[in-house]
Amino acid sequence: MNHRLNLGHDNPCRPRHFRPGRAVNASPEGPAKAALELSHTRLLVAGALFLLAFAVIAGRLIEVAGFKSGDLRTAHLRQRGPSHVTRADIVDRNGVLLATTLDTSSLFAVPKQVPSKGIAAVQLASVLPETSANELYARLSSDKGFVWLARQLSPQQKMAVIQLGIPGLEFQTEGKRVYPKGSLAAHVLGFAGLDNTGLAGIERGIDGSLKNGDAPVQLSIDVRLQYILKSELARQIADFKALGGTGIIMDVRSGEVLALVSLPDFDPNNPGSAKPEDLFDRATLGIYEVGSLFKIFTTAMALDDGVSTFASRYDATKPLEVAGYTIHDDDPQKRWLTLPEIFMYSSNIGEARMAADAGTDRQRDFLDRLGLLRQPGFELPEVGSPLVPHPWRPINTLTIAFGHGISVSPLQVASAASAVANGGILYPATLLKRPDGSAPQGRRVMSAATSLEMRKLLRLVVEQGTGKLANAPGYLVGGKTGTAEKVENGGYARHALVSSFLGVFPINDPRYLVLALLDEPHIGAKAGGATGGLTAAPAVRRIVERMAPLVGIQPVDENSPEIRRSLVVGLPPQGRTLAAN
Amino acid sequence: MIRLATILWTLAVMIAGYAMFQVKYEVVRLEDRLAQLNHDIAATRDESRVLNAEWSLLSDPQRLDRLNQTYLHLTPVGTAQIGSIDHIPFRPGTASAPMLAKAAQ
Repeated sequence: MNHRLNLGHDNPCRPRHFRPGRAVNASPEGPAKAALELSHTRLLVAGALFLLAFAVIAGRLIEVAGFKSGDLRTAHLRQRGPSHVTRADIVDRNGVLLATTLDTSSLFAVPKQVPSKGIAAVQLASVLPETSANELYARLSSDKGFVWLARQLSPQQKMAVIQLGIPGLEFQTEGKRVYPKGSLAAHVLGFAGLDNTGLAGIERGIDGSLKNGDAPVQLSIDVRLQYILKSELARQIADFKALGGTGIIMDVRSGEVLALVSLPDFDPNNPGSAKPEDLFDRATLGIYEVGSLFKIFTTAMALDDGVSTFASRYDATKPLEVAGYTIHDDDPQKRWLTLPEIFMYSSNIGEARMAADAGTDRQRDFLDRLGLLRQPGFELPEVGSPLVPHPWRPINTLTIAFGHGISVSPLQVASAASAVANGGILYPATLLKRPDGSAPQGRRVMSAATSLEMRKLLRLVVEQGTGKLANAPGYLVGGKTGTAEKVENGGYARHALVSSFLGVFPINDPRYLVLALLDEPHIGAKAGGATGGLTAAPAVRRIVERMAPLVGIQPVDENSPEIRRSLVVGLPPQGRTLAAN
Repeated sequence: MIRLATILWTLAVMIAGYAMFQVKYEVVRLEDRLAQLNHDIAATRDESRVLNAEWSLLSDPQRLDRLNQTYLHLTPVGTAQIGSIDHIPFRPGTASAPMLAKAAQ
């Protein structure tokens, strides 16, 4: 600027009369012009630089104001999210809560900061009944920097501790697994440890999906049926002074386990106090010689393979003697019996002869097809392997025909019997609810005609045979009794029985299977005579009567002509009057 | 001309600055509110978990049965107590069943 002003107007050397030409004034030439352009460029560059700088600052401001600041200012609020509650809930098939994780506070102390330890210990003991004042005092007097006083307090206890106002006490939030239904589904649920890892039951069986999932896991269990089953079993165990018992309710059309009980049981909220026998799951881990329940499978095999028909007759006039063993009947009829009569009277001799007719290979193949010879796949980790004879001698064929010499879990029996009743399709047992409307993958194990014949036989047992006490009027229960002597020291113990009843209803269109099994029931002081028909069958009747209204099954008139036509088996008129009225 | 432009730009800068800080404070307010709401949601969820657990505890069938035996003495529904609507006879002197069925159609 200075150059131009000096040159153009105020040059003292310039003559006053001299007027420069217009061109000179309008656009300087030579060095003046160059200087002008240089300064112009400098101005532009400087302006651009400033613009850039301001743009950067503006961008940063927008970023900070719009997107970043919230993170900084509210970080403390976000930290306390539900981050520690990660284990998914478990609910029953109707959404009733069975297991959940709750925040609990655990109390710890910094002993140096607790002023009068004696008073503090006494005050604390008054609100924490599990711990004595002496113990608390000992912990508070330790010279550690940190001592736990109580883990997982209830909210009431926490409030009480806060109200004591003792300095030096602090809380730590922890997730605790809670089972609101207590022991109701103990063996199904199992339990999880302090670090929220499943240790038993479904908690362990599907630990991975419980840990990673957020949505509740829905079991096939129905809490109402679970309670009915448990209370009726408990009543039978008390009435017959049994060691224990187990029961299963299964949906025969899908293999879903609706209730699974093993008694004695435990409280999953406090598994530490349970005895080993309480933790033992009799329904899935326990294996039993189930006795006459196996006749369901023997008879189905004989019918399905065409070895026998309803008209087949077998000699049950006297005990069967084979290879040094004698096979007796509990209720000897001492005559030739037809197949339905054998099943109805639960004749060991008849079933043994039937199995002998079919042969060892057929029997083994059929039982294998029903999943009775292999460890079943199930969601619980506690699943027992069956005890199968090896080698499978002809004598094994005869005893297995009536359920001795082979040990299986009640769960396996329930699955296999479901297939016998439901039209001949075996569905794998499951504890997880199948999605509504999804058709489960089943495997045909026998013809539908065999299944229909078996349903008639099962009904016959309840109407006129060993299972009369299971007859819940109107609900068309069909079933089979089982009474087995327990194996002890290589022989059979006459006074230690496993008595069971397996019922299916309504038998004209099976929906549900109820299995009840009692371990060593007694009548009075005696074990003899505590058969499945006397001990387990009444429990099944009461279970059916209580559950049928809940699952929406209407009682029907059992004597209506169409039901009699579809279910009644013609029996020969000899012996007692057996034919239907 | 230059004066006018300068004034205009200064004005624009002032307005932009004011607006930006307004927006910034608004954003901060909303962020706080969001965090507060998220926090409340988490707290309410925790609370509802506790209430759910308590409901499940209180509706435990074992407990209900115990309470029933103490106070109500109800017994399970028996077969005899279940019937269908067809089994209920009409009151004498009223319309007969076939007539009602026709009327319903």
